[in-house]
Amino acid sequence: MKFLGHDGGNFLIEFATEEKLLLLHLLSMYPLVPAAHHRLTKDKKFPRREENQQLLDDALKAQRQQNQQEVLALINEPGRFTDKENASQAAFSRTDLEWLLQVVNDVRIGCWLALGSPGYEPKKKIAPNSEGARRAMFMEIAGAFEMFFLGIINGDVPPELPE
Amino acid sequence: MPATAFPEVAPDISHAADSASEHEPGYLVICWDDPVNLMDYVTHVFQTVFGWERKKAEKHMLEVHKNGKSVLTRESLEKAEFYVHQLQKYTLNATLERDGK
Repeated sequence: MKFLGHDGGNFLIEFATEEKLLLLHLLSMYPLVPAAHHRLTKDKKFPRREENQQLLDDALKAQRQQNQQEVLALINEPGRFTDKENASQAAFSRTDLEWLLQVVNDVRIGCWLALGSPGYEPKKKIAPNSEGARRAMFMEIAGAFEMFFLGIINGDVPPELPE
Repeated sequence: MPATAFPEVAPDISHAADSASEHEPGYLVICWDDPVNLMDYVTHVFQTVFGWERKKAEKHMLEVHKNGKSVLTRESLEKAEFYVHQLQKYTLNATLERDGK
């Protein structure tokens, strides 16, 4: 991936063909984190705990639906990517990058949960099978996209020339 | 309350916050450590959600990483719920807890 610079208020990014396919595949996996994953509080005696938890669940569900619409729009929007011989270019607003971060991180966390949350329990090992390998791979790929998006948001990635 | 860069879908808690104590800043927004969210990502989320400078966001991120948790802010119930929702929509491990409990 290359950050090509700013185009108006947008971030112009070039993806190699394989990188674009990986990004679109990651986005198509969203959402992966189960709805029941998030808890409002750890306090079992919290006043109106269930009622407040339901309100949070509803808000997160609405947010997920909004992100899903953004994902579908990005995947299906004609002209969103300008395809060249071995690469594609696309312009993303800061708003786009924020929901992309949310979506890609959801996939990362969802893969991690599906792997059994390795790291929380020291003895927990990733299952040595093709499904475990696939999840571990997408978790790492999601992290790589996150670091790239964060780098250009924070100005840590200098603009490069296109292919 | 700092705005994020896209439309919000905030919890509708108006009917829940009906006692005087819920309007008091007695609720802690806590972020808990996990081995999967990237440190730079957590810093970015703190900056975006709270409008903090990078240095302050990094301080809290490192607190989460080293101590297992960081108290990010102390608010009324309504505001604390809003912040927890903002943090959780970025898939951070955040909860609200009553202060002193």
